[in-house]
Amino acid sequence: MAAPAVRFVGITKRFPGVVALSDVGFDVASGSCHAICGENGAGKSTLSSILAGIQTQDAGDLVIDGRPVRFNSPRDALAAGVAMVHQELAFCDNLSVAENLFLGQLPTRRGFLARDTLRAQATELLRSIGAAIDPDRAVETLSIAQQQLVQIAAAVGSGARVIIFDEPTSSLGERESEQLFALLRSLRARGVTVLYITHRMPEIFRLCDSVTVLRDGRHVCTAPAATLDEATLVQRMIGRRLEQYFPEHQRAAPGAEVLRVEGLSSAGKFSEISFALRAGEVVGMAGLVGAGRSEIARALFGLDPTATGSIRVRGERVAIRRPGDAMKHGIGLVPEDRKRQGLVLSMLTRENTTLPILDRFARWTIVQRQKERQVASTHLGQVQVRASYFESPTVTMSGGNQQKVVLAKWLAAASTILILDEPTRGVDVGAKAELHAWIDRMAAEGAAILLISSELPELLNLSRRILVLRAGRLVGELSRDEADQDALLRMMAGIKSA
Amino acid sequence: MHRSILRSPSAGLVIVLLALGTLLTLVAGSHVDPVSGQSVNNFLNAHTLIQMATDASTFAIMGVGATLVIISGAIDLSVGAVYALAGVAMAMVLRAAGPMNPVATVGLGLATCLTVAFLCGLANGLMVVGLGVHSFIITLGTMWILRGLAFVASHAESILVPAALTSVAKASLGLGASLSPVPLLAMLAVTAVGAVFLNRTVMGRHVLAIGGNAEASRFSGLRVNRIRLGVFLISAVTAGVAAFLGASFYGSATSSDGTGYELYVIASAVVGGASLAGGKGSALSAMLGALLIVLIRQAIRTLHLDQNYEWIIIGTAMIVAVVVDQKGSQLLARKLTKQTLSS
Repeated sequence: MAAPAVRFVGITKRFPGVVALSDVGFDVASGSCHAICGENGAGKSTLSSILAGIQTQDAGDLVIDGRPVRFNSPRDALAAGVAMVHQELAFCDNLSVAENLFLGQLPTRRGFLARDTLRAQATELLRSIGAAIDPDRAVETLSIAQQQLVQIAAAVGSGARVIIFDEPTSSLGERESEQLFALLRSLRARGVTVLYITHRMPEIFRLCDSVTVLRDGRHVCTAPAATLDEATLVQRMIGRRLEQYFPEHQRAAPGAEVLRVEGLSSAGKFSEISFALRAGEVVGMAGLVGAGRSEIARALFGLDPTATGSIRVRGERVAIRRPGDAMKHGIGLVPEDRKRQGLVLSMLTRENTTLPILDRFARWTIVQRQKERQVASTHLGQVQVRASYFESPTVTMSGGNQQKVVLAKWLAAASTILILDEPTRGVDVGAKAELHAWIDRMAAEGAAILLISSELPELLNLSRRILVLRAGRLVGELSRDEADQDALLRMMAGIKSA
Repeated sequence: MHRSILRSPSAGLVIVLLALGTLLTLVAGSHVDPVSGQSVNNFLNAHTLIQMATDASTFAIMGVGATLVIISGAIDLSVGAVYALAGVAMAMVLRAAGPMNPVATVGLGLATCLTVAFLCGLANGLMVVGLGVHSFIITLGTMWILRGLAFVASHAESILVPAALTSVAKASLGLGASLSPVPLLAMLAVTAVGAVFLNRTVMGRHVLAIGGNAEASRFSGLRVNRIRLGVFLISAVTAGVAAFLGASFYGSATSSDGTGYELYVIASAVVGGASLAGGKGSALSAMLGALLIVLIRQAIRTLHLDQNYEWIIIGTAMIVAVVVDQKGSQLLARKLTKQTLSS
C-alpha cells in the first residue's frame, strides 16, 4: 500500500487563551478526496493553514509522501507540493490572469516580459483544468467562481499534488458549485489528493472518499464516507448534548413588541424580511455565509440607503436613513468586523466608548471631560473592562476586551434594541463566556436583542427563538423547543428533514 | 504629570528648538547697538526673534488648518492659492470702496478675506465629498484655479492696501517702535484655538475619529462627509486669516503671494508629527514645526552659511525630523503595549 499523501502526527497548536488543536493525528490516502469537517472553532482552518505553511504547529509532525516536513511559509509548502485554495482569494486584482498565474516566475526575453510566451503558458494551464477564461483579462473583472478557477490553475501549475479547499462553495451559486465538483473529480482522477474543508453535509457525501471530524481542536474520527450517514456525522460534530444554558427568565413571557420589520428588501442582498422583536428576548438569526444576515443588520442600522420596507419602533413607523436615526430610536449595532467597523483603534478606550454620544457631554461645544470620564468608566465597568485600559489606545487590547468596549459603547448610548453581529468571533473562551453572560443580563434587564451568529451552540444557548435565512430570504423560524443543531443546519442549507 | 509632559508629542520639538536656539546664541557672536551702546547677541535679540515669529506665523496659522485636514486623512494643496486670492480680493474690494474710517476699513478687509477663503474651502470640501476624488487631486486642481482667478482678477498687478490695515498688523503694542508682535500674537491665538478645538470639542474628536477609521466612525453614527467638508472650510479660513495678516503687514497683495506656501504648511504639520495616514496630529506641534523650519532658515543667515544651501538643509531637516518622530513613537507604542499587557 502506498504511503499516505499526508500524515498528521500529534499536531498541537495553541493561541493565547485557547488550544486550537490538541494532539490531532490521521492519514489522508494518496489520490483521495478527504473531507475535514466540524463546527466553527473546531480547528479545521487552523489545521489546514498549518498544512499550507501559513501557521506553524507548536508540537507534532507533518509527513508528506512518507517524508517528514516542517513548513515555515506557504513557499515551503508549495515546494513540497501542497497548495491551498483560500476562502478569501488573494490576487493582484489589477493584473491579468496570466500575470497572476506566473507572478513569481514571469517569462522574459532579453530582460523584457515575454508576453506571447506568458499568454501561451497561461492558456495551456487554464485548458488543463478545463477553465475557459481569457488569460488577458484583469482578475478584478472575473466572478468569484472564475477567480477560484484561476487559483486552482495556479495550484496545479505549481505542481501541487495536495490541494486544500477551504469552504470553496461558500460564495458560489448552485451551477458554479456543480462545475467545481466536476473539476475536483477530474483532479482526483489525475492523482491529486484533495483536502476538502466544509460544514455542508451533502457535499461531503457527494464528493469525498473519507471524512475526518474535528471537535474543539481534537480528532474525533476518520472513516470512509460510505460508512457514515448525515445523522451520525452531525452527532459526531456536536459530540455532546448541548449543555442547557438556557436561563429561566427566557421562559417567562417577553415584554412589549419594540421592533417590527415588514417587507425589508435590498436588491441583490435580501428580500421581504419580516419579523418582530420584543423587550427582554434574545432572537437568534442563523444562516450560511452570504445568506444576508449582516446585510439585514446594516439596513436596520441605516447603513444601506437602498433598503426598502417598513420599520416600526415601539409601534411607530420610523425612517432610518443613517446610523444617527437608528441611534435616536435606541438601536445599537455591534458590527461583524470589530477592527474595521467597531472601533477606531488609534483612539483611547474612553474615546471609543463615548464616540456616538460625545455631544451629550458638550457645553458650548466643549466636551466636559469629567462627565465623559464618568459615563465611560461606568459603562466600561459594567462589561468588566479593567480601569487600567480606560486611557490607553484600544489597539493594545485583546479581541475579547475590544469587543467589550464596543458593547460598552452601545450601553453608554442607552440602546434598548441591540443588534449583535457575530459578537464572539475571534475572542477567547473566557471572554466568550463573559460576553454570553452579558447578552443574557441585557435581555433580563429588558433589552431586545437580535443575535446573529455562525456558531450554532451560541444561538441555541442564548436565543428564545431563531430566525433562519437562506439566500437572502427568511425561510423559517424555530422556537426554543424545536431548535437543535441538526434542524438548524438542515434549514440553513435547505435540506428536507430525514 | 511630569511623565505626561515628557511623553507629549510636542516635547521633542521643544527640546530641539531650545537646543538649536541655545547653539545659535552661543555661536552667533554679538554686535554693539549704535543707539544704546550695549552689546547685543546677533541671534538672541527681540528684533530677530519677533521677525522669526512673523515669518513663522503665516505657516503656523495655516498649519493649524492643514493639521486638521491631515488628521482627517486628507490633504489640502490649495492653501497657498487661497492665501493669494483672499489677499487680492481684499485689496481690490478696499480699493473699490475708497477711503473709509480705519475701523470700517479693517472690518471690511477682514470680512472679505474670510468670506473669500470660506468659499474656496466650501468648493474644495464639496468637491472632495461629492465627487469622490482624492483630495490631493481636487486641491491640486483648485490650487491652480484659485491662483488663476487671483491672476486674472488683479491683472497680475500688485495692489496696495490702505494704511489702516498696516498700522494694525504692525502695531507695536507698546513694545518699541521697531517691534511688531501682532503676527506673533495671532499665531499663538490661532494655535490655541486649534488646540482647544482638537482636544476639547466634539467636532475635534470627530476629526480624529474619521482619520483613525472612517468606517468605524460611520458605524458610530458620525456624519463623516460633513466632518470632511468642515476640515476643508477650516483649512481655507486659516489661509484667509494668514492672508489678511500678510497683506496688511506688507502693505500690498498680488496674485503671486504665497506661492509654494502649501508645501511649507504641510511640512510644518508633518514635522509636528501629523500622520499622513490620518488620525494623529497636534495644533501646538504644527506651530512648533513652523518655528523649526523658520529657525533653520534663520540659522543659515546668522551663521553666514551660503544661502544657496537653504533648500538642501531644510529638505534634509524635514526628513530627519519626521523619521526621528516616527521611530520615537514606534518605540513608545511598543513600550506602552508591553506595559499594558504586563500590568
